[in-house]
Amino acid sequence: MKPTNFKHLFSSYDGNENLFDEIFDKKQNVRKVYQKLFDIYNDQSIEDFINLNNKAKTSFFNQGITFQVYNDEKAQEKIFPFDLFPRIIDGEEWATIEKGVIQRCKALNAFIWDIYHDKNIIKAGLVPMELISSSANYLRQMDNLDPVGGIYNHISGTDLIKHSDGKYYVLEDNIRCPSGVSYVIYNRNALKRSLFGVFNHYDIHTVTDYSENLLEIMESVKPKGVDVPTCVVITPGVFNSAYFEHSYLAKTMGIELVEGRDLVVENDFLYMKTISGLKKVDVVYRRIDDGFLDPLEFKKDSAIGVPGLFSAYKNGNVTLVNAPGTGVADDKAIYTYMPEIIKFYLGEKPILNNVHTYHCSRPTDLKFVLENIHNLVVKPVDEAGGYGISIGNRLTKAEIADVKKVILQNPRKYIAQPIMSLSVHATYIEDCQSFEQRHVDLRTFTLLGQDKEFVLKGGLTRVALKKGNLIVNSSQGGGSKDTWVLKK
Amino acid sequence: MFNYTIKYTTENTYENPVFESYWQFMVTPETNSSQDLISSSYSVSDDNSIEKSINGYNFETTRIHTKKPFNNLTFEAIFKLNKSEISPIEPNPEFTVEDDYKAIEVLDFKVDFEAFLNATELTALPKVAVKLFEFETSKHILDNVKQLNTWVYDLITFKAGETTEDMLLETVLEKKEGVSSDFVHLFCAIARVNKVPARYVSGYLHQGDGFFGDSEMYAWAEVYIPNLGWIGFDPGNNILADHNHIKVAHGRDYKDCPPLKQIMYAYGEQESKFAVEVNYEQ
Amino acid sequence: MLARIANNLFWMGRYIERAEHTARFTNVNYFSSLDAPNKLSRDRQFVLQSIYEMVGEEDEKDEVLIEQDVLYNVALNPDKHYSILKCICYARENANSSRDLISNDCYETINKFYHSVMNYSKDYFVTRGLHDFTSHIMHQSTILKGKIRGTMLHDEVYALIKLGINIERATQVTRILQIKYDAAEQVTSSKPKHLKKSYEWTTLLKCVDSFDINRRVYRKPPTQSTVIEFLMLNPNSPRTVLYCLSQIKEHITMLDPLKAHEKNTALFLIGKMMCEYKYKTVEDIEDNVKEFIAHTFSSLIKLSEKLEDEYFYH
Repeated sequence: MKPTNFKHLFSSYDGNENLFDEIFDKKQNVRKVYQKLFDIYNDQSIEDFINLNNKAKTSFFNQGITFQVYNDEKAQEKIFPFDLFPRIIDGEEWATIEKGVIQRCKALNAFIWDIYHDKNIIKAGLVPMELISSSANYLRQMDNLDPVGGIYNHISGTDLIKHSDGKYYVLEDNIRCPSGVSYVIYNRNALKRSLFGVFNHYDIHTVTDYSENLLEIMESVKPKGVDVPTCVVITPGVFNSAYFEHSYLAKTMGIELVEGRDLVVENDFLYMKTISGLKKVDVVYRRIDDGFLDPLEFKKDSAIGVPGLFSAYKNGNVTLVNAPGTGVADDKAIYTYMPEIIKFYLGEKPILNNVHTYHCSRPTDLKFVLENIHNLVVKPVDEAGGYGISIGNRLTKAEIADVKKVILQNPRKYIAQPIMSLSVHATYIEDCQSFEQRHVDLRTFTLLGQDKEFVLKGGLTRVALKKGNLIVNSSQGGGSKDTWVLKK
Repeated sequence: MFNYTIKYTTENTYENPVFESYWQFMVTPETNSSQDLISSSYSVSDDNSIEKSINGYNFETTRIHTKKPFNNLTFEAIFKLNKSEISPIEPNPEFTVEDDYKAIEVLDFKVDFEAFLNATELTALPKVAVKLFEFETSKHILDNVKQLNTWVYDLITFKAGETTEDMLLETVLEKKEGVSSDFVHLFCAIARVNKVPARYVSGYLHQGDGFFGDSEMYAWAEVYIPNLGWIGFDPGNNILADHNHIKVAHGRDYKDCPPLKQIMYAYGEQESKFAVEVNYEQ
Repeated sequence: MLARIANNLFWMGRYIERAEHTARFTNVNYFSSLDAPNKLSRDRQFVLQSIYEMVGEEDEKDEVLIEQDVLYNVALNPDKHYSILKCICYARENANSSRDLISNDCYETINKFYHSVMNYSKDYFVTRGLHDFTSHIMHQSTILKGKIRGTMLHDEVYALIKLGINIERATQVTRILQIKYDAAEQVTSSKPKHLKKSYEWTTLLKCVDSFDINRRVYRKPPTQSTVIEFLMLNPNSPRTVLYCLSQIKEHITMLDPLKAHEKNTALFLIGKMMCEYKYKTVEDIEDNVKEFIAHTFSSLIKLSEKLEDEYFYH
C-alpha cells in the first residue's frame, strides 16, 4: 500500500515540446526502451529517492571522488554531481556511433601524420596552411618523426549531441588528454550500489573493460626491441583536478602512477626512481600537456615535466601516449574540415554529422556571423572546458556588440555554429525535489593502437544542471549520468 | 681551406649550493657543405658526466645533469673543423626575375617553407613597421635581400652589453641599437613579410678581420632564394656569410637555438661568464 | 615501487601513529592529572607543559599557558605542524599520492577519518570534546590500521606503511618515557627516594595504553624498574621498543631480503640493534636510565635516516 501522500518522482515533470526529450516522445508517452526504467523509478516515493541520492553522494565523497573548489578562505572538496537516472542508448544506434567515432579517429590520425610529414592535404588546397601554422598546438619538433605504429591519437574523446532532429552530431574531438573515463566507471558502480534492481531488466554492456584495453593499446605501441614494456601513467600531481582519474587508471591497469620528479632521462632513455634504483620506462600515458612535457624542449619553467623526455621520445626509446603535437587536430577550426579530412584520407563519407561551421577567418563567413550572432554560438578555436563561448540567443544587445568587437580583434580565433538544440533527459534536481528536463551530451572514448581499436561501450553523459543551460562541462557546473548501451 | 679551433667556455658561481641542475648546451658546429667537424671534446667540473643528444630540431646538444650540490661549475668545449672558402653568389642565370617571384607564390613552396615564412614572437614587426622595407619586384630576390642586409646594417647600431637576445622588434626599432640577434630578427622579419623564407642562425664568428662580433656566440641569417637555395647573410656586418662564419644551428628565431638552456633551483647571488675563442690556420 | 611513493607510504604510517600517540598522551595526561595524588602532578601548568613537550612545541618557559589554547593547538590547529589535525592531513595527502597502491577500503577509511577531523567543532572540542575527540582519534586509527592489515596485500606497500608505524611507535614510546622520566624526577625532587614509585609511572603506562598489560605481567603497582623493563625490553607487548624493533626488522626484510648481510644497510643496522635489546636486562640499564633512553632515541633516528637514504632518495 502506498501512503496517501505518495508523490511520484515524475509528478511535476514539465515536458517542453520544443525540446527533444530522450524519455518522452512528442505526445508525452514514455519511449519504449525507457518504459521499464520509468515504471521502476516512478514507483519510488520521493523520500526514498532523496535518501538514495544522498547515499550515493556520500559514497562518492567518502571514496574521495572529489575536486577542489577554492572559496574565500579555504579549499573545499566537492563531488561531481551524479544523476541516478541513467541514459539508455539502443544497440543499433550505438553501432552507428561506434563506427562513426572510429572513422573520425582514424581520419584524424591520418591527418596528423600528414601534417607532420608531407602535408598533402594542404598542398591539395583542402585545408589552409594558415590554420596549422597559427595553431598553438602545432609542434614543429614533431616534423618527420614517426611514432610507433604510426599512431598519434591513441586516446580520443569524441563529444556528441543528439539534435532536435533526433540525429547525433559531433561537437568536438578531444585528442590531447581527454578526461572523464573514470566517471563512466564510477557512475556505473554508484548506480549499481544504489539501484541494483533496475539492472535485472536490461541487458547492457559492461564499462569496466576500459583499463585492460588501454593497457593493451599502450603495450601495442612499445618501442622497438622491448619485449615486455614497462608502462606508467604520468600525472601533474595530487592537486590536478583529474588526479583522481589518473590514479584510478594506474591502479586498474596495475602500473605505476608517476610524477615528473620520479623520472629521469639518461642517454636518451627514460627511467623511474624506485626503491631499488633506476628502472627503465617504455611507454608513458601522459596526462600532462605538450608544453610541460620537457622543460629543455618546451616551456622552460615546467616543473612537472622531465628534462630530456622529448629526446628520449624522438630516439624511439620511449612511447608517449598520446603523441606530442596531436593537439593540432583538436583545434575547433580543424573540426570544421572533418568531412573533407575523412574523404581525403579514407575515401569515405562521414558516418556522423558535423555541425555546420562558419569560419570567422573567411570574409564571407565573418560577414554572416556578424549579422547573425543572435542565432549562433560563437566559440574560440583553442579553448577547452567550455570557456569563452557565447550563445547568441542569450545575449543582450550590448553583449552582442561586445562579442562582435572581440571577434573583429582576431577573426582567426573564432568560429560560429548554428545553435544546436541538445536533447534533454530527465534529471533529478535537488532544489525542486523532482525530475526536470536538462540538456545532455555524450563523450565517447576511443582507443587506437597498433592493429587494435576499441570504443568504450558507454561513455560519459554530461548534464547541464542549470535550467536551460547548454554547457555541460564539469568546470561549468555540469553533472553526469550513467550511460547504458543495450546489447543488440 | 681553413683549419679552425674553437673554444667555448663558461664559468658559473653561486652564493648558495645548487642541489640539482640541468644544462643543455647547443654549441657544437654542424657539418654541412662548407664545414666539416673533425673533432670535439668536452669537459666539466667535478665528476659530472656529459651526454650528447639530438634536440627536437635535429641539432646536437650536450647535456649535464648535476646531482651533487655545487657552488661552482665550469664547462669547456673544444672543436676542430675544416671550413672551405665560400664563392661569391650571383643570381642563377637560367631563371628570370619573374621566375623568382612566381616560385615563392606556389602553394607547395609556401607549405614546405612554412616554418620560416611566418612571424614568431621575436620576429613580429609592429604594425607600423610592416612596410618599412619593400622588395622591388623588378630586381632579383637575391639583390633585394642584399639591399635589405645593408638597410638593416645602416639602421641598427651595434651595441653589446646589457641587452638580452629575446628583445622584441618594437623595442629594437625604437632604440635602433642592439646585438647580433636583434639585427637578425629584424632582417628575418622583413624577409618573411616579403614572402621569402628566412631563418636565424647561431654560430661562431671569426673576428680576425675587424668585424663586429662579440666574445660570446654570434647570430646571422639564412634566406632561401628560389633557384639558389639557402644563402647566409650577416646583417650585423653587412656581408654575406663566408668562411668566417661557423654554423652551429638554425631556427625560426633565437628561442629555437639558444647556446644554453638551464634548469636549476638556485637562490642568492650568482655570476656567469662565457667566453668564445675562434682561431684558424690556413 | 617508486622511491617517492615509498617515502609517502612510510610517512603515512608514521603520521597515523603519531596522531594516535598525541591523542592518547593528551587524553591520559589531562584526565589522570585531575585527581593525581601529588600536588605538582595535579598542577595545570605542569600538565600543559608536558603536553607541549610531547608535541615538541617550543613555548616560552615562563609563560603562563592557557588550557584552551594548548588543547586547540595540539588537536585542531591547522597552523601547527604537530596538531593531530595536521597529522591526519599529512597522512591523507600521502595516501592521496599513493591511492593507486592502497586498497579502496583503506583509502575510504582514511578519507572519512580526515573529513571527520576537519569537521570537528573547535568550540565543542575545547569546552567539552576533549575526551570524545581523542577517543575518536584512537578509535579511528585502530580501525585504519586494522584495514591496512586486513585488506591489503602484504607486499612492499604494506611493509613500508608498517615500517612507518613501528618506527614512529618506537620513537613515541621512547619519547614518552623520556618526558615521564623527567616529570617523575621533578615531582619527587624533594624526596628522591620516591622516584622509583612515582605516580608518573602509572600515567606513563596509560599513555601507551599498557597499564593493564603491565599489571598482568608484574601483578603489582608499577615502579621505575618494572616500567622501564616492560616498555623497553618486553618482546610480547605490542607497544614496547623491542617489539617494534622486531616489527621493523620483519618489514625491512620484506623490502629487500638479500641485504641482510651487507654492512651499513638499514637491515643490518636493525638486526644489530634488535640483538642488543633482546639480550639486555633491566639490571644493565637501571643505573643509567636517562642515557639508555637517549641512546635508543638516537639509534632510532639513525635508522630512520638510513632508511631514507637507502630507499627513498635516488
